[in-house]
Amino acid sequence: MPNNFVLGKEQLFSRRQLLKLGIWGAGFAGTAALWHTLNAHSKSIVKVPPLEIAATNQAVKPMQMLRNFDYGVVKQENGRTVREFQLTAGTSVIQLNSAVSYNVWDLNGRIPGPTLRAKQGERVRILFLNNAGHSHSLHFHGVHPAEMDGIRPVSNGSATIYEFDAEPYGVHLYHCHIEPVTRHIAKGLYGMFIIDPPTPRPPADEIVLVMAGYDVNDDSHNEYYAFNGLPHYFMDNPIPIYQNQLVRLYVLNIIEYDTAVTFHLHANFFDVYRSGMTMTPTEKTDVITMGIAERHILEFAFRYPGKYMFHPHQDAIAENGCMGQFEVITDKPSQT
Amino acid sequence: MKKFKYFCLTIATAAIVSLSACNNTPTAEKPSAPDTNSTSTAQVTETTTHSGHGSKEKININTAILSELDKFEAKLGVPALSNKIQASRPYANPEDLVNKKVITQEQFDQIKDQVTVQEVILTGEAKDVDYMTKLGLMKGHLLVAQELLDKNLPKQAEPHIGHPVEEIYVDVEEQLNERKVKEFKTTLVGLQDLVKSNPKNAKVKTDFTASVQSVDGAIAVLPEAQRTKPGFVLQVINELLDSANSEYGAAIADGKIAAAIEYQDSRGFVLYANDLYKGISSQVAQDSPDAHKAIETSLSELTKVWPSAIPPAKPVKTPVEVTQLIKTIEQNSQKVIDKSSTQAQR
Ligand SMILES: [Cu+2]
Repeated sequence: MPNNFVLGKEQLFSRRQLLKLGIWGAGFAGTAALWHTLNAHSKSIVKVPPLEIAATNQAVKPMQMLRNFDYGVVKQENGRTVREFQLTAGTSVIQLNSAVSYNVWDLNGRIPGPTLRAKQGERVRILFLNNAGHSHSLHFHGVHPAEMDGIRPVSNGSATIYEFDAEPYGVHLYHCHIEPVTRHIAKGLYGMFIIDPPTPRPPADEIVLVMAGYDVNDDSHNEYYAFNGLPHYFMDNPIPIYQNQLVRLYVLNIIEYDTAVTFHLHANFFDVYRSGMTMTPTEKTDVITMGIAERHILEFAFRYPGKYMFHPHQDAIAENGCMGQFEVITDKPSQT
Repeated sequence: MKKFKYFCLTIATAAIVSLSACNNTPTAEKPSAPDTNSTSTAQVTETTTHSGHGSKEKININTAILSELDKFEAKLGVPALSNKIQASRPYANPEDLVNKKVITQEQFDQIKDQVTVQEVILTGEAKDVDYMTKLGLMKGHLLVAQELLDKNLPKQAEPHIGHPVEEIYVDVEEQLNERKVKEFKTTLVGLQDLVKSNPKNAKVKTDFTASVQSVDGAIAVLPEAQRTKPGFVLQVINELLDSANSEYGAAIADGKIAAAIEYQDSRGFVLYANDLYKGISSQVAQDSPDAHKAIETSLSELTKVWPSAIPPAKPVKTPVEVTQLIKTIEQNSQKVIDKSSTQAQR
């Protein structure tokens, strides 16, 4: 029963902030991760297993980005909370497998870009600097005025400021909107943008999964696919989660060139919160179809320990890199 | 891929930090930076909208080109300040110049009424440089597209016909209207459609010529005196080379040219920069012989990096070497630009 996990007396530090301090600490505004945990119900335990993370200077860090949220720098201006984020587009080379390297455009040295997170009603300010050669832009999904829609090109070397209210709550995304948008997205300029509801969701082990494709020879057809940037990564490095722990997946499909894919989870069913815009699940399933740029919150808990795959059920896409697995770790009963 | 040592973050349940104060209101949200001052962007606008009483024009520190930023450099007498301002982008507000330690508070006070992060309407020479640069980038794309069409590679040419519309046109559209240039987006889009769908059609050639003529025509609305002035043209050249530099860096992976499109973009920009320099070289040679020598040598070295529109098997130079050459050209151009602007002030 996925509900007994919430009972406990201490408030646990989520592993996420420790990760942040340990690895990402230098580059990111740190304080904010606390906020989520504090705002979450105070008498609850979210159990997150220890992680073994290979330190890498690659722009792709699939394991690090799983539970890493960028809450920006918080400022108070005229009585309002403003979250200020900084995103810089650059260029880097990633190694898709031992034989294939690929030039990407990154954001803050990462692909996918940072998962930005704010609360509904806050003011969000994004300082965008383009150091990536071509003109680029950042277009956010959500509700905002036309001037903030991010379709105007920002030329190489210059910066612009996007500012708007965070609304409505949900799992959104941002991406470059310079044509050909397919190429500008597929080469790396995208990320998830989460707006939390005014009443926080129940505590859970929160995990980000972004599905993307790589067209390495510019033929408008993907040769490789990946969760969180690296093909096959989570097959070789399963994501540890605890048995009976509520897991909240934030899933985004940003695979260009393929019309739609599904997300399928083995040996379980998940609750679907469509676009993350509801507080109650809209359906329960084990396969959900997602068009390009569609994203949802999926919640589940595993009853039995072991390894369970997840992948699109377009199996060719899965086999070209878009697959991974969870490793469910036994929940040792700590009390009698 | 290199293997790195493993960080093992053992955070077993027992080791997890527990927080005792549960009723925290979100005090954790305190910004890590000590600046709780509330200079909102909105306020900045208000103080700046006074126009028409001789207030100096504002410069957007997020977007201005080097020669505009030189005004601050000259006023404050800080060497290489323009580059420093560019290198510390982005800025959320003018005060970030101080927060990011680009200049001191005292220095900021001297220039603050000229600094903004709001979109500004460019005027004067800066506006012309901006306009010419954008058209120059279009020219570069079209030059390399032409080469690829000549090599009977329409598929490779197509993105370079697309780039001027996709990345640049919207940015210059207002200026085109203002300068009464006939719109040519339709021409460019038509050409791209044709190359995509029917590259063998004889109309490709005529449409291509029409597109090039449109861009040339748009450039020609700038006064002749401006277009032939070394101090002006060099600003444009440096903007083009700056883009070429970024593109070239983005083309190379593992010591190979992995992204042909970016290689070709950078080739086009350098080709056009060369064309532009030819038009002013004798004048630069006369006025600033040393700078001319350095620019000419570096440009010809630079040009070797792109032997053909088809990428060479092995890069001729590393991105670092290319950056170095471009820096040399930039520094020497600056001497010429400074000279011409002091002359203008006399
Ligand atoms: Cu882009």
